Amino acid sequence: MNNGQRTTDNGQLTNHMAENITTPATTEAAPQTAAEPFEIAVLPLQNTTLFPGTVVPLAAGRPRSVAAVEAALAGPEKLLACISVRPGKGTEAEATPEEIYGVGTLVMVKRMFRGEDALQIIVQGTERLRVLEWTQTEPHLRARVAVLPPLRTDDQQEVEALQRNVRVLIERALAILPQVPPEVRAAVMGAQEPTQVAYFLASVLNLGVEYEQAMLEAETTDELLRLAHVRLAREVEIMQLSSKIATEAQTEMDKAQRDYVLRQQMKAIQKELGDDDGDDAEANLMRERLAEADLPAEVRTEAERELKRMERLPAAAPDHHVIRSYLEYVLELPWRKASEDRLDLAEARRVLDADHYGLEDIKERILEFLAVVKLRPDSKSPILCFVGPPGVGKTSLGRSIARSLGREFERLSLGGMRDEAELRGHRRTYIGAMPGRIIQSLRRAKVNNPILMLDEIDKLGADFRGDPASALLEILDPQQNNTFRDHYLDLPFDLSKVFFIATANQLGPIPPPLRDRMEIIALAGYSDQEKLHIALQYLVPRQVGENGLRPEQFEITNAAIMLIAERYTREAGVRQLERTIGSVARKAALKIATNDATAVRVDASDIKEFLGAPRFYPEEARKELPAGVSTGMAWTEMGGQILFIEATLLPGGQGLTITGQLGEVMQESARAARSYLWSHASEFGIPPEMFKSYGVHLHVPAGAIPKDGPSAGVAITAALASLMTGRRVSHNTSMTGEITLSGLVFPVGGIKEKVLAAHRAGIRRIILPSRNEADIADIPEEVLKELEIVLVSRISEVLDAALEKLVANPPPPPPAGMDAAARNQPTTQAQPDALRVREP
Amino acid sequence: MTMAKSIERYLRFMPVTKPGRMCDRHWSPAADVYRTRDGWLVKVDLAGVSPDELEITIAGPVLVIEGTRRDTSCSETVSYHQVEISYSRFEKSLRFPCPIEGAQIESDYQDGLLLLRLRSPEECE
Repeated sequence: MNNGQRTTDNGQLTNHMAENITTPATTEAAPQTAAEPFEIAVLPLQNTTLFPGTVVPLAAGRPRSVAAVEAALAGPEKLLACISVRPGKGTEAEATPEEIYGVGTLVMVKRMFRGEDALQIIVQGTERLRVLEWTQTEPHLRARVAVLPPLRTDDQQEVEALQRNVRVLIERALAILPQVPPEVRAAVMGAQEPTQVAYFLASVLNLGVEYEQAMLEAETTDELLRLAHVRLAREVEIMQLSSKIATEAQTEMDKAQRDYVLRQQMKAIQKELGDDDGDDAEANLMRERLAEADLPAEVRTEAERELKRMERLPAAAPDHHVIRSYLEYVLELPWRKASEDRLDLAEARRVLDADHYGLEDIKERILEFLAVVKLRPDSKSPILCFVGPPGVGKTSLGRSIARSLGREFERLSLGGMRDEAELRGHRRTYIGAMPGRIIQSLRRAKVNNPILMLDEIDKLGADFRGDPASALLEILDPQQNNTFRDHYLDLPFDLSKVFFIATANQLGPIPPPLRDRMEIIALAGYSDQEKLHIALQYLVPRQVGENGLRPEQFEITNAAIMLIAERYTREAGVRQLERTIGSVARKAALKIATNDATAVRVDASDIKEFLGAPRFYPEEARKELPAGVSTGMAWTEMGGQILFIEATLLPGGQGLTITGQLGEVMQESARAARSYLWSHASEFGIPPEMFKSYGVHLHVPAGAIPKDGPSAGVAITAALASLMTGRRVSHNTSMTGEITLSGLVFPVGGIKEKVLAAHRAGIRRIILPSRNEADIADIPEEVLKELEIVLVSRISEVLDAALEKLVANPPPPPPAGMDAAARNQPTTQAQPDALRVREP
Repeated sequence: MTMAKSIERYLRFMPVTKPGRMCDRHWSPAADVYRTRDGWLVKVDLAGVSPDELEITIAGPVLVIEGTRRDTSCSETVSYHQVEISYSRFEKSLRFPCPIEGAQIESDYQDGLLLLRLRSPEECE
């Protein structure tokens, strides 16, 4: 049944009710009709109870309800009995008399309006009534009822007390409910009659039908007020609690709102003050820059996405800053900006020559590259690797190449780099993340085709954090580096236009896959002649300038420079030479500044005065070699060097004793040399017993410097053969080459340095493996013309060339009976790993 | 600013009250009261009420008009479409600024309006 449901259309009734309440009711007189029982139509109410003195809108939709209302309207007074249905009974079906309470309310229909599907009525409760007898159920309920007398009051004092309490509670409730209209407020507070207030509360509070019915059935004012008071107290308690919760929520919201408003105000103030670094200004600036920037499509999409993210974040958010730096990076990178190459080959040649003396190979290679670029502008840049001793000008050569091509130059030192992230950057999720060094260099260069010099590539480290060499594999691979992805950027950057030049002192430590990707160009050390040229052309003018001298004030002779190069420095490059020339120039500057002289001329004879005693005595060719000593040549990082191989016979000794910090390779070549000579003893006129009867001690000074490599094989063989035959090795002959047990001579490296060193030491005859013939071209002309080069391919040829024909020191005859026990037992020490003379 | 609005909406806290209204037990007609030279004129909107059904009482300064309006035009054959006139018992109390006990009352019906003339026995000003 839904005919008991009240409509919510109560707005228009407010005034009406207020008007009514201005005159308090006088209810002492019962209605005229109420004296005796009478018959009346009954409208059952569901889920609600109607109290006397309340105006309630109702809707009657079901046929039986409509019939009841129609019947009521047909009466002259339009009276109706509204009685609640017991809860849980007759929900949807039409209620039977048993399901309806026995006490209800007599109402009069004040308004009726026929709606679309129901009768809308407004009723006003007048009296309580009791059902005496049900007289009819169809077409509507009808009952014989008696109007109940007004409520008694048993205990006036209790009623008074309850009434006051109720009033206090109502005040409290009204304080919590701000939206109660003032008329209602006035009506409630002004109501005098306690039952009136109680009925009003019962209809206002959601008490449930059972409780409401109990209140309706209350016979005394005491009981009614008690019932009302209990529930009102509870309701007020709940209202207070929920209001408190709501207030707390409001406070919290108010704070957020306040912050927001303050922030907006601050923004406005900043704008007024002209501080344009507000969020929006910044984002707008970014957007402008983004629009102007020349970016690849993929980069632009990503940058725009990041910008949107940034706009959503408040400036105080830590991510805001992260995104801003990221965007700045993206915008500053030269995604498509390239510098114009200067394609004038003659000019490039001029620049290269002006900066560097010699180095023909490299200059040639650069010019080749320029020629290719001229013919095919989109060709890939080469990846070069300069290998050479320190101070030969690898780094400055890079600068010079950049200058000759008209490209930007950026240098990054890989020495000691251990972390792959240094090269490739950290992912942006890390705090303080930055792009790798490659991307940083490109940002500095501002073009995407700079010359990027990777210095000291042989000194890369590697540990648990990663191996930077492996990251370089991608960077230096022309097939992959057009989509190089830095971890920080996480966007592909085209590195294929970058001209990479790596430098290294040695090839050995560079991992083979990396070595394979680069075009290796070796820079040999300079000869003294070359050093002289370099000094005259570059070093002296530079030092003169740096020490505040004018060119005419300082002159240094060629002889003086040569002396410095030979006796005061020992290096393959020219750094030390330049420093030493610098100190000479400084001393000249002192003289000039103290007015001791107006101009200084430095000759070889003056050097001692300027620099003190010579610091180095080159290993000079010995004037005379005893039998058993030969002159070899070694290659070191600082250039070449000659060394002497000394061998002596140990009468009654056994085997081969080797000293002089020789490495394993060198020891083995010593044993191979001895074995070869032993096996071919008769061929060289050596009594085979010599090997059984005598032990041999082989020593290579200087004993403190470790030496290794196979290239001393020839010299060792010569020394041993000399020892056994008694024929001396000619003192102005030095030799190099690897030997085999079958008597062949193999080529070795470092020919130029070795020959230069030998020449410096005064050697005029040099024995080289014939397969090293090509290397002779590297030797400067002025050196070569003073030398006699003997090319050999077999050990027999070496001995022919090296040993004098005359037997100067005949070896002692082998003692008899000392053969059986002789053993080849070399006794050597393991070599420490200090400075080592290596032979390539 | 939209945020502030949504917060306000969120915070709107409306406890549900049932639409019951407290008022008198009976309806009360509208009345005009005039001061006349010799007393009071009370005009009550009481059309359709038989004078027999009217009861007028005076207690101190209060004049009470009670009665019942009955719908005489109704019958079982008509069907109501709209009802706006209140029927059944009514009650109207009017409070005067001075006692009116003992006043002479003349009642008259004119075009559906009940006119009551109160002539005070003594001056009441």
